[in-house]
Amino acid sequence: MPIAEISGCIGCEACVKSCPTDVIQMNKVTNKAEIVYAEDCQICHLCRLYCPVGAITITPEKSIPVMVSWR
Amino acid sequence: MDSKMNLSRRQFIGVAGGIAGAAAIASIAFDAPAVVNKPDIDGSKFAQEKRELDVLVIGGGMAGLFAAVKAHDAGAKVLMVSKGRLGSSGLTPFAKGIFSYDKQNASMSIDEFVAKVSESAIQTNNPVFTRQLAEHSQARVEELKEWGFFDSPLYNHSFMRPMNERKIPLEERIMITHLLKQDGRIVGASGFSLDENKVIHYQAKSVILCTGSGGFKPNGFPMCDLTHDGTIMAYKAGAKVTGKEWNDGHPGSAVNSGSSYDNWHGQVEEKPSTTTITINHHLGMDLNYEGYKYGAPVTMGPPMRGKTGEVNNAKESAATESVIAQLMPAGPFTPEAFRMTSPPPPPSQGFLASLLSDKGHSGPPGMGGEQVGGSSAGMAIHKAEGLVPINEQGLSNLPGLYAAGDALGSYMSGGIYTQIGSSLAGSAVQGAIAGEAAAKESLNNDVKVDVSTAYLTKVSEEILAPLKRKRGYSPAWVTQVLQSVMIPNFVLYIKKERMMQGALAYIEELREHHVPMLLAKDLHSLRLAHETENMIITAEMKLKASMMRKESRCSHYRLDYPEIDYKNWQAWINIDQDENGEMRLQKQGFDQWPAFS
Repeated sequence: MPIAEISGCIGCEACVKSCPTDVIQMNKVTNKAEIVYAEDCQICHLCRLYCPVGAITITPEKSIPVMVSWR
Repeated sequence: MDSKMNLSRRQFIGVAGGIAGAAAIASIAFDAPAVVNKPDIDGSKFAQEKRELDVLVIGGGMAGLFAAVKAHDAGAKVLMVSKGRLGSSGLTPFAKGIFSYDKQNASMSIDEFVAKVSESAIQTNNPVFTRQLAEHSQARVEELKEWGFFDSPLYNHSFMRPMNERKIPLEERIMITHLLKQDGRIVGASGFSLDENKVIHYQAKSVILCTGSGGFKPNGFPMCDLTHDGTIMAYKAGAKVTGKEWNDGHPGSAVNSGSSYDNWHGQVEEKPSTTTITINHHLGMDLNYEGYKYGAPVTMGPPMRGKTGEVNNAKESAATESVIAQLMPAGPFTPEAFRMTSPPPPPSQGFLASLLSDKGHSGPPGMGGEQVGGSSAGMAIHKAEGLVPINEQGLSNLPGLYAAGDALGSYMSGGIYTQIGSSLAGSAVQGAIAGEAAAKESLNNDVKVDVSTAYLTKVSEEILAPLKRKRGYSPAWVTQVLQSVMIPNFVLYIKKERMMQGALAYIEELREHHVPMLLAKDLHSLRLAHETENMIITAEMKLKASMMRKESRCSHYRLDYPEIDYKNWQAWINIDQDENGEMRLQKQGFDQWPAFS
């Protein structure tokens, strides 16, 4: 997984706004952020860095295996 | 995870090899049966909103920030619109070095600086913009200092400061897809919200594209939100575009090569700092050539350095350069003054030093560890691709349309990355100049912007079309085909005529047949649909420009034309649409700017 988990969200939307690839959205029922499009995560960590409460866990593997690097 | 994406690593690696794989991917990428598109939202029930201003700034990176601030300060009514968040999208958040030319204490004069950049760039730079960078960079850096830019690794707060102080309206998470045209002049832009079902039409006396560059959503480089949106909407509106044959050659880490964060070794967590004169001939094709010739992985440094099998052994036994030259074909040319005879020395101060001294941080992409290629595939050298300027304010050939930063083909550094930190500084400098110029022009002209409702309705229908199609192709699948055709190293990195013709056949098929049938089921995939189209048109431009330039120079390397052709190719390539809407490529001599052929 790329962005793997959001735990302890306070609903400030900082991660939703700071994600360049629109991976995270607000759940309108719970008013908490949730991972919706993990396959588009570029693993840049901006969401984690902007989160004021350290709620976001990210791992370095893409959800779709990498196919582009030539090796 | 979507079951359609549930591919095994073995399957994916199996198709990673290239063009032959593109056909294979079609049969395996989607194991779920195709279903009729049933959108989550109703494309016929979108609200339509309108804004009216003097200057519209599109893009929220370094160029957009200065464009908005300076246009406001020159007296214009300004609005900034961004697909992402101010200071947290595009390449800006990841750039940590910013060049500052100190006129009093610089190690060389501005004339010497411009000459040295031209020498490294083998004359591909436009000296007008190289000089502009040196003349204005320090003033922009001083303003950034006042706003607190150097106090935090995250830029949103410091970027918001001058926006808030001036009460400049900012609309985020809006994807602009169309430029509005009236009597040959650009008079605004239209796009859609990523959060609400609405289309917004911005009518403006002038527009500044600060939309950055783009790539093919490659793995391992934080640019998957950049898809040349600005360039392609401008091209469709009649603008001239340039620089598509150049390639950014950033490598990625062999370990976790899909992770932008890991490839940049955590650099995003560092505060920015300034750089002084350091002119290189970097990010060319030498590393990619070595990887192509001998296989991956490779390591950064001079040719023949690193753990690359026979290359390494040869290097270890070769005492002189002449012996090395006999063992290894010439490869991409580096001007003599810029050839490294030893690995680059570790930096002694600034952000690079702090990165290198921090456990787990080993510097920006390409520093430390084994490397593989393709990390930034689809992007040209900073400032070398984008709209063709017709003056030093970044005005395009379309009245009312300006560009700045990576959206402007200013050739500030030419077809190779020369001055460290100049990319961020160049965006600040060009944004400020375009902002002021656009504001002055808007205030002085008597353009009456009055776009008809029928025109806006047609634009809106084009924007929402992927939501209304029942059958077609998903942007994710079309993007995967595009990537498997364009990213392999034998297509755009080590170029050959026949291979590019083969790739072009795929790309033209995608543009003609698949683009008109791209599907969207929600706002997220509507964005992907438009991004996919932009990447496909960019791929076509890159292939055609690369085939036209029958020589090798800077970051453009052709195995079948490996030499520099000073007789025929002291020229840039400009691309626009001819009267029939066909893609047209024309040469513009280095000494002909700003005139057109």
